[in-house]
Amino acid sequence: MSEQVVALQGVDVDSLTFDEALVELQRTVAELEQGGLALERSIELYERGVALHERCAGLLGQAELRVQRLLERAAGQLAVVEARSEEQAD
Amino acid sequence: MSRSGPPQSEPLWGDFPVDGSAATSDGSRPPDWALPSWDSIPADETEPAPPSPAPAQAPARAERAGSDAAQQPRPEPAGGFALRILQVSEVTRAVRDAVRAEDGLRDVWVEGEVGRVTVSSAGHAYFTLKDERSQLACVFFRDDRLSSLFEPRTGLRIVVHGRIDVFELQGVYQLYVAALQPAGFGDLALRFEALKARLAAEGLFDTARKRPLPIRPAVIGVATSATGAVWHDICHVVARRWPLARLLLSPCQVQGEGAAASVVEALERLARWDAQCRAEGRPEDAPDVVILARGGGSLEDLWSFNDERVVRAVGAHPVPVVSGVGHEVDVTLADFAADVRAPTPSAAAELVVPDRAEMVAVLRELARRAGVCTARVLAGGRAEVAAEGRGLERLRPSAQLAQARERAGYLLDRATRALRGEIGRRADAEQRLAARLGPVLAVQLAARRAGLERSSAALAALGPQATLDRGYAIVRRRSDGAIVRGSDQAPAGERLALRVARGEIAARVESDAGAAGRPSKRGAA
Repeated sequence: MSEQVVALQGVDVDSLTFDEALVELQRTVAELEQGGLALERSIELYERGVALHERCAGLLGQAELRVQRLLERAAGQLAVVEARSEEQAD
Repeated sequence: MSRSGPPQSEPLWGDFPVDGSAATSDGSRPPDWALPSWDSIPADETEPAPPSPAPAQAPARAERAGSDAAQQPRPEPAGGFALRILQVSEVTRAVRDAVRAEDGLRDVWVEGEVGRVTVSSAGHAYFTLKDERSQLACVFFRDDRLSSLFEPRTGLRIVVHGRIDVFELQGVYQLYVAALQPAGFGDLALRFEALKARLAAEGLFDTARKRPLPIRPAVIGVATSATGAVWHDICHVVARRWPLARLLLSPCQVQGEGAAASVVEALERLARWDAQCRAEGRPEDAPDVVILARGGGSLEDLWSFNDERVVRAVGAHPVPVVSGVGHEVDVTLADFAADVRAPTPSAAAELVVPDRAEMVAVLRELARRAGVCTARVLAGGRAEVAAEGRGLERLRPSAQLAQARERAGYLLDRATRALRGEIGRRADAEQRLAARLGPVLAVQLAARRAGLERSSAALAALGPQATLDRGYAIVRRRSDGAIVRGSDQAPAGERLALRVARGEIAARVESDAGAAGRPSKRGAA
């Protein structure tokens, strides 16, 4: 189990990114499937799993592509500016 | 001029089948310029010369071969040395024979710029090839033309392979084209192969160098032109498949003078940005993968992607690079150096991001597995409760067993509630999702929802109700709803709610239980 995965346990679901929530959901399901858990722990995991699933599905459903441009300013300074998707005219 | 007498030119006809085959009489008009139209020549006129030469021909030969006395094997007619007036066809034939006898003209490669092009109704192309000082009429017969990869086009610089011959009917010499290709083509191909071999020897294209792509990139760097269809297509594909990603365009010039330098600069900009983000402790803004893309074009258009500087910039990039240059058939050295080569820019975009619809299916499967496991654990819990129930029937009920039973019942109750609540929430969430992902997905989601409802029904059957049905009750304090686990939790006067299989009973504790732990509640329905 990587450090990242351990760090995610018990973290508020709504603060997780999609990737974090997905990794945590996978871990939760794996732990459930391992078996040998107390009834209380099983239900705890299940409830967390449901919340994580909801978080993932929500992020996936609401996501809107962000488009940015990487530009070079004077003196070689890099700058990122937001651009609108589907509207890339210079 | 090593050939002997003119009639011996006859076997040469075998070398010029086109003369006969092209001599059709389909009545088409000749092209509107000075060159001949083979279509308009009657077949008989292109027949070989008769075995016995026209009498007039011998003097012509004699004159031509005047400097070479040994070349007069045939007897001259009487008066053959006399000056005589030649027929036009005699002169033309003499020129033709001279041209045909010249080895250096039988197999030529000529480079020049294409002037005017005319294609006859029979499909033969007539064009001029010119340089600063001169021009050369060329004929490209239909069959060769149709099997050629390249067409002569006005203004194009080409290299032509063929032979020079004279068309007697119009008294012109021309180049009969066997094959043609753009000038510099062979040169480019040679340079391509040489550079490829050199860089391959350095190990730049080794499979071991290829890096795996991230599964779900958060930031995707794109080096391409800011104007044009390629950038638009990439935005479109990523917006459809994986809108969680962020696209970071590093604009560059992808054709014309300076394109290679511009592409290198765009790649370096992304590399510097990557380093800067990591140095500033925000790796989440650094690109996870870079797409190098350009739309289709001619060999020359794509040439900057064979530039050594570009190839090296791709190979040395700190972030995995996916190339999508040109069309499927176009392969550039940048493709070889990239970690992954995609056939087109859109394919590159498809390749770097996962598919949203597939991810929904993955999530659904995880949820299903969690549901299956939990249901199994709950079923185990129920079996335990049932075993305890049997134990209670055999032995004197002990306070500990009752507590365990009650605890199990409580957990089952909570699980059932959780599942029911989740069905509602998920129905909402999935409806929102379904509205976005379209009807196909909606069908799948509906099936999933039906599955959830079925498992919920199964879980309800496992809930405390089954236990209550067997005659047990759940005792709660009315004041705070807490479950009463010991008599000390229910002092005299405490109001209680007894949940039984069918309905609830309001009760009051009559007297303190004391230390005996003896049940002291009495129903007060």
